[in-house]
Amino acid sequence: MRALLLALLSLLSVPRTGSTDDVTVFAAASLAEALEEVARGYEQASGNKVILNVGGSNDLARQIVAGAAADLFFSADRAQMDLVETAGLVRPADRVELLSNVLVVVVPAAAATRIASPRDLTHLRRIAVADPEAVPAGVYARSYLETAGLWAVLQPRVIPTLNVRAALAAVESGNADAGIVYRTDAALSRRVRIAFTVPREQGPKIVYVLAPLASSRKPATIELARRLAGPEGRSVFEKHGFVIEPGGAASHPLEPPLASSAAAK
Amino acid sequence: MLRGDEAEVVLFTLEVAALATLLILPPGLAAALALARYRGPGQGAIETVLSLPLILPPTAVGLVLLEVLSRNAPLGSWLAGRGVEIVFTWKAVVLAMAVMSFPLLVRSARTAFEEVDSRLVGLARTLGCGPAAAFFRVTLPLAWRGVLAGTVLAFARALGEFGATVMVAGNIPGRTRTLALAIFHDNQVGRDDRAAVLAGITALLAFAALWTTELLTRRLARRAEE
Repeated sequence: MRALLLALLSLLSVPRTGSTDDVTVFAAASLAEALEEVARGYEQASGNKVILNVGGSNDLARQIVAGAAADLFFSADRAQMDLVETAGLVRPADRVELLSNVLVVVVPAAAATRIASPRDLTHLRRIAVADPEAVPAGVYARSYLETAGLWAVLQPRVIPTLNVRAALAAVESGNADAGIVYRTDAALSRRVRIAFTVPREQGPKIVYVLAPLASSRKPATIELARRLAGPEGRSVFEKHGFVIEPGGAASHPLEPPLASSAAAK
Repeated sequence: MLRGDEAEVVLFTLEVAALATLLILPPGLAAALALARYRGPGQGAIETVLSLPLILPPTAVGLVLLEVLSRNAPLGSWLAGRGVEIVFTWKAVVLAMAVMSFPLLVRSARTAFEEVDSRLVGLARTLGCGPAAAFFRVTLPLAWRGVLAGTVLAFARALGEFGATVMVAGNIPGRTRTLALAIFHDNQVGRDDRAAVLAGITALLAFAALWTTELLTRRLARRAEE
C-alpha cells in the first residue's frame, strides 16, 4: 500500500515541461504538413525537438495572449499577428511576411458540380468555410465574396467550421456541397477536387506572418525561424504549393534584434 | 443586456433541450423499467452499452453519430435517399442532446423503479390491471421522485451539451448554435464579454431547473401526505 502511494507521488514529481532546447510552434492549420517537414529536418540537424500546435490562427492567438507557452507564432493573416503584437508579446521588428496562398472552391471528388464563376455558388445549399468571423481562411473567403457582391446571398448557406481543415473535411464527407479552402489544402485530399480557383488579382491579399515570441530567449527559436525563412524552408513550402512572398525571406529582420538579445544573455 | 440574436440562442437552446428530453422519455423509461425488472443473462452488458454516452468523451460520441449518419453508412444512405438531412441541422442538435442525456434518465428512473415493491404491481395485475395501467397507476406514482429527478437531470445535461453537438450539428448561427456553442464561438472570436453574459444565463437556467424540481418535489410530497 505504501509502495503504491510512493509510486503515485513520484509520478507527480516527474518534470512535465520539455527541455529548454525544445521549440514550440503555434501555426495555422494549413501549414501542418509543410511545417512537419521543415521541423523534422531541423530536429535531425540540431538534435532539438519541435512541438507543433496547429489550428485556426485566431484560436492560437487567443491562446498565446492568454498565456500559452509558444516560441514561434506562424499566423495565416496579419490580423491575428496584430492581436499578439498589441498584447505586447511580439516585437513589430521581429515579424516576417513569409508566404502567401491561393483560395479555391472544392467540391466532393465524385460530384458533378460545375463552378465557372463564383455566382455558381448560389446554386449550392451548403458551403463550408472556416469561421468567416475570425479564422483567416474564412475572413479571406468572406472578403472575396463581399467584393464579388455575393456575401449577402451566400451567408445563410455558409457552414462555419473551426478551421480550414474542418471545412475541407466537411466537403470530403459530403456533408457540405462545396467549401472554400486554400489550394494547398485541396492538394492534400483525393476526396475533393478543385472546382474553381480564385484569381489572385481578384482575391484578398493573403499573407502568412511568422514571428518569434518576445519572451522566447532560446537560440533554438531563432535557428528554427531562420530555417523556416531561409532556403530550406522556402523549398519545402514551394513544394507544398505555397507562394513565397517576395522580399519576405531575403530581408527578414530576424537577425539584428535577436542577435542583440543573444549578446545580452 | 441581451442582444436579439443572443435571446434567440437562449430560446433555441431551451426548445431543442425540451424536445430532446421529451423524445427520450418513452424509450428511457421503458429501458429503465426493463433493467429494473429483468434479471437474466446479458443484463450487465446492456446496462454498460446504454451507459456508454455517460463515460465516453462527448467528442467520441459525436464521431460515432457522424459515422452512423454518413452517406456511406446504411442509416445515412437510407436517410439521404429520402431527402432527410440531419447533419448540420437542428435535428442533429436534438439527436446529440438526446443521446448524451439518455443514460442519465435511465439510471435515475431505474433506481426509482427498483424501489417499487413488485408485489404491489402483482396485486394490481391480479385485480385486473393491464401492464400499461399497472405502470401508470402503481409504478409511476410510487417512483415519480426519481423519474422527475432523472428528467430534470437529462434536461440540464441537454442544455449544456457541447462536444457531440459541435461535431454532428456544427456551430451555425441561427440554425444550430446553442448557448454552449455560442459561448465557445464568442471566446474564439475574442468576445469574452459576451461569452461571460451567456455563461451567466446558462447558470441561471440550470439553477431555475433545479430550483423548480426542488419546489415541485416538496409541494407534491406534502400533498401526498395529506
